Amino acid sequence: MDKLNQVLLKPAIQVGADLFAWMQQGGTQGLATALDAPQTLIQRIADADLRGMGGAGFPTARKWEAAAQAAGSEKYVVCNGNEDEPGTFKDRTLLSRTPHQVIEGALIAALAIRACHVIFYLNPHQQGSLREMRRAVAQWQDSPWLEKVAKAVGQPVDLQVVPSSGRYIGGEETAVVASLEGGFPFPRKKPPFPAESGVRGCPTLINNTETLAKVSHIIRHGADWYRALGVGAASGTKLYSLSGDVMAPGLYELPMGTSLHDLIYRYGGGMLEGKAFKAVFTGGPSNTLLTRKDLDVALDFDSVRERQSRLGTGAMIVISEGSSIIRKVAEYIGFFAKGSCGQCPSCKCGTFQLARLLERVDSGRHSPADLAALRHLCQILPGSGRCGLIDGAVTVVQSSLHTFPQEYGIAATAD
Amino acid sequence: MTQATTAIPHAEALARLASGATPTLRKSGLSRELLLERYHPDHAPAAAATLQIGANAGERCHPTLAELLQANALIDGFDLAGAEQLSTDVLVIGGGGAGAAAALTAASHGADVIMACKLRLGDSNTVMAEGGIQAALGRDDSPQRHFEDTLRGGHYRADPLLVAQLASDAPDAIRWLIELGMHFDVTDAATDGGTLRYKQAGGCTQPRILSYRDYTGLEMMRVLRETVELDPAIRLLNRCPAVELLSHDDGSCAGAVLFDLEYQRFVVVSARSVILATGGCGRLHLQGFPTSNHYGATADGLVLAYRLGAKLRDLDSFQYHPTGIAFPSRLAGGLISEAARSCGAWLINGLGERFIDELAPRDVVTAAILRECADGRGIERDGRIGVFLDTPRLARQWPEGIEHHLPALAHLAAKCGIDPATEPMLVYPTLHYQNGGVVIDGEGRSTVPGLLCAGEVSGGIHGRNRLMGNALLDIIAFGRRAGQRAAEDIGKRPLRRGDIEHVYSWQRTLVQSGLPRQARAPRLYPGPGHYPLHRNERSLA
Repeated sequence: MDKLNQVLLKPAIQVGADLFAWMQQGGTQGLATALDAPQTLIQRIADADLRGMGGAGFPTARKWEAAAQAAGSEKYVVCNGNEDEPGTFKDRTLLSRTPHQVIEGALIAALAIRACHVIFYLNPHQQGSLREMRRAVAQWQDSPWLEKVAKAVGQPVDLQVVPSSGRYIGGEETAVVASLEGGFPFPRKKPPFPAESGVRGCPTLINNTETLAKVSHIIRHGADWYRALGVGAASGTKLYSLSGDVMAPGLYELPMGTSLHDLIYRYGGGMLEGKAFKAVFTGGPSNTLLTRKDLDVALDFDSVRERQSRLGTGAMIVISEGSSIIRKVAEYIGFFAKGSCGQCPSCKCGTFQLARLLERVDSGRHSPADLAALRHLCQILPGSGRCGLIDGAVTVVQSSLHTFPQEYGIAATAD
Repeated sequence: MTQATTAIPHAEALARLASGATPTLRKSGLSRELLLERYHPDHAPAAAATLQIGANAGERCHPTLAELLQANALIDGFDLAGAEQLSTDVLVIGGGGAGAAAALTAASHGADVIMACKLRLGDSNTVMAEGGIQAALGRDDSPQRHFEDTLRGGHYRADPLLVAQLASDAPDAIRWLIELGMHFDVTDAATDGGTLRYKQAGGCTQPRILSYRDYTGLEMMRVLRETVELDPAIRLLNRCPAVELLSHDDGSCAGAVLFDLEYQRFVVVSARSVILATGGCGRLHLQGFPTSNHYGATADGLVLAYRLGAKLRDLDSFQYHPTGIAFPSRLAGGLISEAARSCGAWLINGLGERFIDELAPRDVVTAAILRECADGRGIERDGRIGVFLDTPRLARQWPEGIEHHLPALAHLAAKCGIDPATEPMLVYPTLHYQNGGVVIDGEGRSTVPGLLCAGEVSGGIHGRNRLMGNALLDIIAFGRRAGQRAAEDIGKRPLRRGDIEHVYSWQRTLVQSGLPRQARAPRLYPGPGHYPLHRNERSLA
């Protein structure tokens, strides 16, 4: 248990919106270090091998680099706190319990790319996060720190808390940009990436809340310290949102690369009612299912990818033997169908059709033709949308068809 | 049941009573409070336990009931996979009077209703209610007096708002029942104008009981059943016990899981609102008492509501009806209506004395009978102990015969092999009613959004003791209120498929608090009725 909650969830730093208490716990030291040598920040983040914690696992330093290199005097840093997918509950915890570590990280990012706007883009359904962040940001605005950052950036820096539309799709990078420009959160075609041309055409760095929360700790303690926290080649820690049929669901901060088995049986108290483990929906839940043979997988971006799945947001929805996979998949696809923004016809109709078919399969009212249609849709839909929503939805359906064909009443397909 | 070792033999007591001497009313020597404290079963040491988990953790509860409330669920997630799906605006669980009143009212306000009965529609305690229904309709009566009587009868422990609604809804409830076609006893048309006839009830300042002979509940259920069966907006599911409620993510109620006995399969009903009308818990035979309740009274509703997080109240307070049959033992617990006492039948102990005002509130009379038996003044017949209910006294005042006024009593006596006109009946208190239940507001809403309650499953209306005639009124008054509320909420509540996530959190709580997970509830069918829900259990059975 000694590896539990070492950095972001360390009990001592759960100080809420009180800036003074945060400083007493060593807060702002990272920012002070950063102010001493702002030009080395990106290299230090690169050394620490910090990845995007919103699901993609993209190296953060490369994103920062792109935004720093982009031309333009007006740049944005956006902290993406739109978190809305089933099974993920990490960002809301950070934003409501330790808002200052997020703000400090965002200011360091602003220093690194010389941004003058820092926006906290938060899900309005999470009233607690919104309230605490507003209180916390108000304290920074009255502090001398903002002045120091502005001096280093070379222009005034403003902090803003902006409620998002509260829609799932609003968390997609380009949708964040659309939303901040005042429109409906329609995702846009990439490239150009927001780091080159984002809010009102300005270079915009969009990072997940958890990613930014880690920044101040890395700058303060050094990249080597951060790398050493991880297991093996993986670096740092990760927030795992554990839910489903386990004894003790909850948010666990563990070394990046902790095995799935340890997460469930060592930290999560084992399976509920002593049932047998069946599968895990990771991330979105829009990824390939992890099954019993994957219990030993190290939960870091690269190791999970080797099993043809993705770590995603670190959400682990555990399903026990006896629970219906189809029921869960139908529930998630129903969520995606509701969450689709509707601008790409294939996604709008595709997710709806998938949800409808799954609902029928789940309630046992389907015909063989429905199953054929389901498989057919899984073949034609991927890649047909501007954003990844439809791909994620298809991935999870396809994976359930492939891994648990007997639940659909169909013959197993060859691996 | 604790029975005294000493008692007066039946023949001796009978001879004493037959001597013709007018029995004297012995002074009690104990205040009502002391009498209750020392002799009422609710105050026995064996009746006290403390709930460890759930919304009422730390509160007092009867140990037998606590065992069920803190039990594990009957089903698990896999039971829902592939189960038949139904959806409706309002799901009514329970086939008694409260359920029927709620279903009819919801349907008349435009809701689609599914009514699920564990047995069949009408198989309930409603049909066993004999005495009557209270309503302040008399010329000298008022809802205010009804309110005051009810509050006092419940030892001022009832929720005054609920009691006020009960009393003021009563006249309209009677009108509704008459419109549906229910009969009530009326006075002689030639001499008294043929108006409603009022009877006196224990604990009331005014004759306020309306009745139909002594099977009022049966008559009420007759019209309710016919009306429900004929209502096209109500889909009736007989022999479909609710085994679990469904919940949304926010903890609100989303419907229920039923088990269809005929097809031996689970049915998942999604509903905007669920009205629990599952009645009480007499069949749990608390402290070994016999019960007057029907087969289905196993506290199912309390268990389901509690697991979903609803707050309950007065879980240590039950009504023991003073005059249950004590002899013969095969009929033990069968009920002799309070109407008998209200018409003038006395209670006599083995010494030939009256020992209590027969029309005192039921808990007081019960405590007094238990005191006589405990102190050796009870009457023993073939190993059964009780006191006499002096039915021959009724026969003397009614030359036309007891069966003319109290046919159910005459019928029961015949089953006992007793002629009530010549021989007194041996009676002993019987577990009759659950005073507490789910906490509700004035419109039947529990503390869980989307979950409403009506009838005996709800608490707070009768305080810690219920008056005769208020149960039949309660089911109609609050059944209609809950039905109307549920129908009006149609636009506000989502119709989405729920899950049993609350069961999983419940199981986690069970483990964390070290309670056993093997105990399962609700009990559904006590005793001989064994209906295994799962196929593997079926093959073993």
